[in-house]
Amino acid sequence: MGKILENFSKQLIAEYGVAVPKSAVAHTPEEAREKGEKLGFPVVLKALVPVGKRGKAGAIKFAQSGEEAESLARELLSVTVRHFPVEKVLVEEKIAIAQEWYLSITVDKGKQAPVIIASLEGGVDVEELSREKPEKVCTRHVDPLFGLAEYEAKEIWAGLGLSGKPLTLATQALVRLYRVFSEKDATLLEINPLVLTESGEVMAAASVMSVDDSAMYRHPELSNMVQLGSERAWRPLTELEKAMVEVNEADPYRGTARYTEMDDGNIGFLCGGGGGSLLSFDAIISFGGKPANYSEVGGNPPERKVYGITKGILSKPGVKGLFVAHNITNNTQVDIMAKGVVQALKDLGKDPATFPVVVREAGVNDEAAREIFTAAGIEYYGDDATITEAAKRIVERVQASEAGEGRN
Amino acid sequence: MSILLDKHSRIAIQGITGREAAMVTKHSLDYGTMILAGVTPGKEGQDVHGVPVYDTLKKAVQVHEINTSVVYVPPAFVYDAVLESIACGVKLILIATENVPQADALKFLARAKQAGVQVIGPNSVGMITPKDRVKVGAIGGDKVERCFVPGKVGVISRSGGMTAETSWMVKRAGYGVSTSVSIGGDALIGTSISDLLKLYQADPETEAVVTFSEPGTSFEEDAAELIQAGEFSKPLFSFVAGRFTESMPEGTVFGHAGAMIAGGSGKPSQKMAKLKAAGAHVLERFDDLIPLLKEVLN
Repeated sequence: MGKILENFSKQLIAEYGVAVPKSAVAHTPEEAREKGEKLGFPVVLKALVPVGKRGKAGAIKFAQSGEEAESLARELLSVTVRHFPVEKVLVEEKIAIAQEWYLSITVDKGKQAPVIIASLEGGVDVEELSREKPEKVCTRHVDPLFGLAEYEAKEIWAGLGLSGKPLTLATQALVRLYRVFSEKDATLLEINPLVLTESGEVMAAASVMSVDDSAMYRHPELSNMVQLGSERAWRPLTELEKAMVEVNEADPYRGTARYTEMDDGNIGFLCGGGGGSLLSFDAIISFGGKPANYSEVGGNPPERKVYGITKGILSKPGVKGLFVAHNITNNTQVDIMAKGVVQALKDLGKDPATFPVVVREAGVNDEAAREIFTAAGIEYYGDDATITEAAKRIVERVQASEAGEGRN
Repeated sequence: MSILLDKHSRIAIQGITGREAAMVTKHSLDYGTMILAGVTPGKEGQDVHGVPVYDTLKKAVQVHEINTSVVYVPPAFVYDAVLESIACGVKLILIATENVPQADALKFLARAKQAGVQVIGPNSVGMITPKDRVKVGAIGGDKVERCFVPGKVGVISRSGGMTAETSWMVKRAGYGVSTSVSIGGDALIGTSISDLLKLYQADPETEAVVTFSEPGTSFEEDAAELIQAGEFSKPLFSFVAGRFTESMPEGTVFGHAGAMIAGGSGKPSQKMAKLKAAGAHVLERFDDLIPLLKEVLN
């Protein structure tokens, strides 16, 4: 799920014939003033960050003059909205609004079909609205094979109470927005609010859009708009995370090495695959340990990739030990894992005699892996121990080594 | 008996000439599984470890009466491969490919449902019935018996790797598996935990089921409802990994694409509470599986 910033999603929506307010992107306060003067005041200033509910977060401002635009833009550009520093501001003409509606298109994973949620009470938190006034919200599933028929779009709005020209325009907008959703492989398209202007136009005043990472190969036109992998972090990537992305992308077709930095922690965490990492992380915490990072390393990675991510994991300040564990592998060659890990430890001068390392690696070529790990003086388990048992060992050893440091 | 796979399975691999598919073919043959045919357009007449390759699945079905297919083609071709399989009358399709576009999955899953075809996956490492030495997918690798021995416990896992680890834990407890199924790490998959529990319920050789779960989706909540409705009455042992994700900011993915907590739903603690309330044996630690299995099954 890659998030698309509002300036780009509005551009896409406009390409499909849905009206959007005139706007421009500003990177500096001075530029915001300039763009505002061109559009004519009043204007709306919105922080361009890949998070929803920006109104609530104070990331949307209104400016009546160039001076005000400049000072408000300066304010926005100096803050962080839900962990994302604001680097750009969208300057937008202020629309004279008669009515605010809500519209979203997403996929209902349980029902395995796209779902449209609409309401004539827009501009609010739709989750709250569904709880408090469910009768004001229309939820309608779309046949995945046939897509949205125009009459269905019409029924949604008519059922909510629209009639006359607004009904026709809202129907047309919904049909077009559904085309954006479907043709751009979106996972979410939310228009809140979709507005009826005082001059009788239907316009997408604010938009939030995410697209399917897995479908990006058929959308070269989106390549500059999408923040790929943005669902794997709750904040912009750290320098170390960026470096680890490079390690992974250097050999994109062989194995996976994903790395997420935790705010604190002292146990370097080199685990995989998806389920095995979750289990290992929980296990360390359950014994009172604190992983310094999360990782998923699997799919039979080459030695260079294992080496690179191990070095990255060990380079985070405060890491006092290393836990290496996988489920019993189907195809990952654990002797290759062993070579990469041992080399990284050696190159960083981490001696397993004083720097605790616990390994639980079983599966393809584990006889060779046992030899490599034990020759390096590492506490090694194959299929003679469970992941949980090994997790307990690393926590004990790191705690013991920290207690030892305390005494010195 | 067993579920989904047995000695009557007649298997073809779509995309058989790919590197991984060819390796899987070899491991499957070595294990004793009959892989009867493969499909790769333009390569008819070749063979992969002795398995004949065809241009179309249609011909493979005509010659070999295929009833089970395994999809190993790249993500962009999965949609067409599944449609081809459905059109050829194949009744069980396992999709190994990861990163299938969501819009494609929505469509082929809808088609499969209409046609009464059972789809496992996408993003499944495979499934296996050890008693008949039948496996599809990479599951078990080249040393199948390390983790998978015949027995009376069904295994369902949302994680491919943990399908093997969980089956190995069952073996460590002194039992074996009837059929182990990796259902796929995506949120949009063809066969859910509840779907499989119904099959295990009807299988006289399965006496209990173990599930390995992750955050996200409502598969576990649905399974709890199934038990409460009386549609699954055998002992169920459930482990839900990823409890730590509940203290991380919402909307962040750890693990598989399906493992996302959003809008307050999909939390491991909720899943565990619901399963427990329905009478399942919910594991605090994964290692608790071994003593609990022994206690309940003896």
